[in-house]
Amino acid sequence: MPTFVYMTRCDGCGECVDICPSDIMHIDKTYRRSYNIEPNFCWECYSCVKACPQHAIDVRGYSDFAPLGHSVRVLREEDKGTVSWKIRYRDGRVKEFTFAIRTTPWGSIKAPSEYAAPDPGSLDSLLLAHEPEALMIESLPTLIAKKKG
Amino acid sequence: MFTSNPFADLTLFLAPLFMQVYVVLMILAVAAGTLIDMRHKGSARYFMQARQASRARATRQLSGGERMSLAVRTLLNEVLTAGEFHKPRRRISHLLTFYGVLLYLITTIVLVFAYPTPETPAPAAWPVLWNIGALMILVGGCWFFFFIRVDVAKEGHSPFRLMRADLFIVSLLASVIFAFAWECVQAVGNLTATQIFFGIYLFFTTLLFFGVPWSKFAHMFYKPAAAFQRRVEEADGSTSLPRPADVRYIER
Amino acid sequence: MGIFSSRKTHFVDSDILVIGGGFGGCGATYESRYWGRDLKIILVEKANIERSGAVAHGLSAINCYMGMRWNENQPEDYVRYARGDLLGIVREDIVYDNARHVDSTVHKFEEWGLPIMKDEKTGHYLREGKWQIMIHGESYKPIVAEAARKAATEVYNRIMVTHLLMDRKKPNRVAGAVGFSVRSGDFYVFRAKAVIVGAGGASHIYRPRAIGEGTGRTWYAPWSSAGAYGLLIPIGAKMTQMENRIVLARFKDGYGPVGAWFLLLKSVATNARGEEYEAKWLEHTKAIVGEKYTTSHPFPTCLRNHAMLEEMKAGNGPIYMQTQAVLDSREKEEIGWEDFLDMTIGQAVVWASQNIDPKEKPSELITTEPYVMGSHATCSGAWGSGPEDCAPDDYQWGYNRMTTVEGLFGAGDTMGGTPHKFSSGSFTEGRLAGKSAVRYVRDLKGDRPQIDDNEIDQLKQAVYKPLENYKLGRNEIVAGTVSPSYLLPLHGLQRLEKLMDEYVGGYTTFYVTSEKLLNRGLELLAMLKEDLSHLGAEDLHQLQRAWELHHRVWTAESVTRHTLFREETRWPGYYYRADHPKLDDAQWHVFTISRYDAKTGEWQMTKVPVHHIVS
Repeated sequence: MPTFVYMTRCDGCGECVDICPSDIMHIDKTYRRSYNIEPNFCWECYSCVKACPQHAIDVRGYSDFAPLGHSVRVLREEDKGTVSWKIRYRDGRVKEFTFAIRTTPWGSIKAPSEYAAPDPGSLDSLLLAHEPEALMIESLPTLIAKKKG
Repeated sequence: MFTSNPFADLTLFLAPLFMQVYVVLMILAVAAGTLIDMRHKGSARYFMQARQASRARATRQLSGGERMSLAVRTLLNEVLTAGEFHKPRRRISHLLTFYGVLLYLITTIVLVFAYPTPETPAPAAWPVLWNIGALMILVGGCWFFFFIRVDVAKEGHSPFRLMRADLFIVSLLASVIFAFAWECVQAVGNLTATQIFFGIYLFFTTLLFFGVPWSKFAHMFYKPAAAFQRRVEEADGSTSLPRPADVRYIER
Repeated sequence: MGIFSSRKTHFVDSDILVIGGGFGGCGATYESRYWGRDLKIILVEKANIERSGAVAHGLSAINCYMGMRWNENQPEDYVRYARGDLLGIVREDIVYDNARHVDSTVHKFEEWGLPIMKDEKTGHYLREGKWQIMIHGESYKPIVAEAARKAATEVYNRIMVTHLLMDRKKPNRVAGAVGFSVRSGDFYVFRAKAVIVGAGGASHIYRPRAIGEGTGRTWYAPWSSAGAYGLLIPIGAKMTQMENRIVLARFKDGYGPVGAWFLLLKSVATNARGEEYEAKWLEHTKAIVGEKYTTSHPFPTCLRNHAMLEEMKAGNGPIYMQTQAVLDSREKEEIGWEDFLDMTIGQAVVWASQNIDPKEKPSELITTEPYVMGSHATCSGAWGSGPEDCAPDDYQWGYNRMTTVEGLFGAGDTMGGTPHKFSSGSFTEGRLAGKSAVRYVRDLKGDRPQIDDNEIDQLKQAVYKPLENYKLGRNEIVAGTVSPSYLLPLHGLQRLEKLMDEYVGGYTTFYVTSEKLLNRGLELLAMLKEDLSHLGAEDLHQLQRAWELHHRVWTAESVTRHTLFREETRWPGYYYRADHPKLDDAQWHVFTISRYDAKTGEWQMTKVPVHHIVS
């Protein structure tokens, strides 16, 4: 179900151009607004749909198997940590859902360099960062090699 | 220089009626251009259809008062303060250009119609405002042209790569730049240079107004209408977008 | 490219270069910063790490989590599970290594803000199945990308890496990489002491089931363009199990996931008459793979595919997931929808467009076209050195997760022999590679690899050649896509997908191939390879597509050669060798290893024994 852009809503801000993992949201030369240049490389990941500040991007199911008249729209609210969906069926039924997306404030991840520097010797150990504490068990499991080459 | 009416000094070689007819012609060109474009694209019919479909999906009816309130909010937020723009620099550059154009156009009309000749000198405020308007367009427009245009800012194109979408901004900037050029050479008394730069100014100004069917000019009509329609859809439940969530998962 | 701009070359030096900003690359970036506080760590990604890679939508489950803190599973059990699923052939040392560390990764994810569903009764993570836990994963990638951004010295988005560079002093040692900006068109030369490749596996190697727009809805991301293999194969890194292409049974057309339906919601798959069909194909399956492998629990992925294929061939399709039988509460309905909306929204669109309410109607299942990658129920990828404490001697040659090219590390889909990593395991493998790379850089001391300037100039020309081809060739024709002198990247891609489908066991052949078919495939691949020098790219976006095709073609040749080499049918349901229709443990209980020699253009194929270090 590739994306398309509503003419009246797009104001050419380029957020979709920035985010698209497939590099297929680009700027139209007549209107300076965005559009999907390669629907056959659109995964319908909705990254652009979620990123658009004007809700100008929507999705129409892939023409080879999705009949017309449906709508699956999203409202991602970063500050609340929610994503909400409104699904309209071809026959008019509507379903709505809201799910969590994050439990901590955006930007709050502690950078690895903010942790106390590891002992020089531990670079040669088997432990990864924050281990064994982050494993929440006593120690890292090990196995002795059973078969030599 | 900036305190005298540049249009009045044109009467050296141009009858005042010329500019007055020209201004009326440009206004008509915008109206005609918009109407022809709408008819050609069937946009009025499309909008009517879309509005009907949206009304059919409405879950509640809006009263006249509610509609009026939404219209006022659209005017105040989207139109007058460019509230649709989320990025500060896009908003500021649009405000500069938008109010610059308003000022520039209104003062042009006043100068051309109310103070057409040197015998009817304009109070200094009017030409000053005309110049300020032109300057605002120049600053806002150049900022947009070189740094903010999305094909330049996000797609890596050179600012000098021009496409059809640039017709509006290029003709607007050129009109203003050559207006300044004409005003300057006219102030030092160089008649030939004045005629040349004025001629070029006229060319780009005509291009700006006649280019309506091919340029972004008409967005000044469509955008407020679309913004209003969006508010209506949110209010009457016909929007296909989900409602904002009433829960919060981010723990502080 | 504008009138006034020119193509600049940027040199970027670093201690550690991470190529690919997906889960593997982000894990590598995070961990290498933890251990290398003052190292210069660069992350390069062809898209934008915020949503790049296979987890762009998000995910609804983490499929690799032991739960050692609650005594739910042990790493050895995970090895047995992966081994059983791949019919005996996995790198048990590396699988064990991923499994013993993955819990710390998942706990950090939760700490960072990933919402993990909890079991109301026990307070533990809600299990989907024995190895899987349910998450609210719409923002899984943005959260992980935030961690990587906080670790990297710099993140370069929209730079496509096209080639790795080799050290001109010391043979078989990596020195960096080159690529181009998809936005400015500038050339980039990355010089690094260590390189970690966390690039994508391969979608779009085989003809997709869909036509037209629908070819975008591949199961694995369309932007997983085989960078992992296309970068490593040409420089002579040893690859393993490239024949182990994966086919998945998924919801038809939208390719929505089935895990939560089978494991958590306890739904069943039936034929068109509503009959459960898997059990009746058991004897048939045993005749191919023998008794032993059919006793694995859970039943191996490929063998479940096999049963579905046989049922379809018998004319008993469509195959259905009986969703309506299990959605008996609002809570379950929400789980069913969130399962798709968190990770495969396209399937929700299929439901809405075809008026399918899963509470009322079943949904069709189908087997996908084949993919080549290393983190799912499949293990294609680079042959890598294992962990020092438990890898057998012939599986380790120094640094953990180092490929056979010195200084070149792999993580995620890049690394072969280690299936069932999924997202958390790939990030974990990235961490392992990151720490190893820091050790390697420390041990290098002053011995820095040197790039070859001639090579840089040649590569620069090669990288932009498709733009040149198009510009010149365009003069020959009036308009349109048909040119006698250049090929558009899409033309090349479609030719590749068709030939792989027809000759190397794609869906139209029910995944069947044979020596004769494979050899014909190689002939056609040879001509396609030659035609690659005539690719024509109209703009930078098409140039990216052109280089993605290059990487896919390398991978496709590797897949074909490996498939030819392994003379048995090890994974029915993934593919079949019609001329060697049974599993043959006596001859083929081995890893297939290939190495391409750039000087001679020859591929060397060898077998390496599979060591079982877990009982």
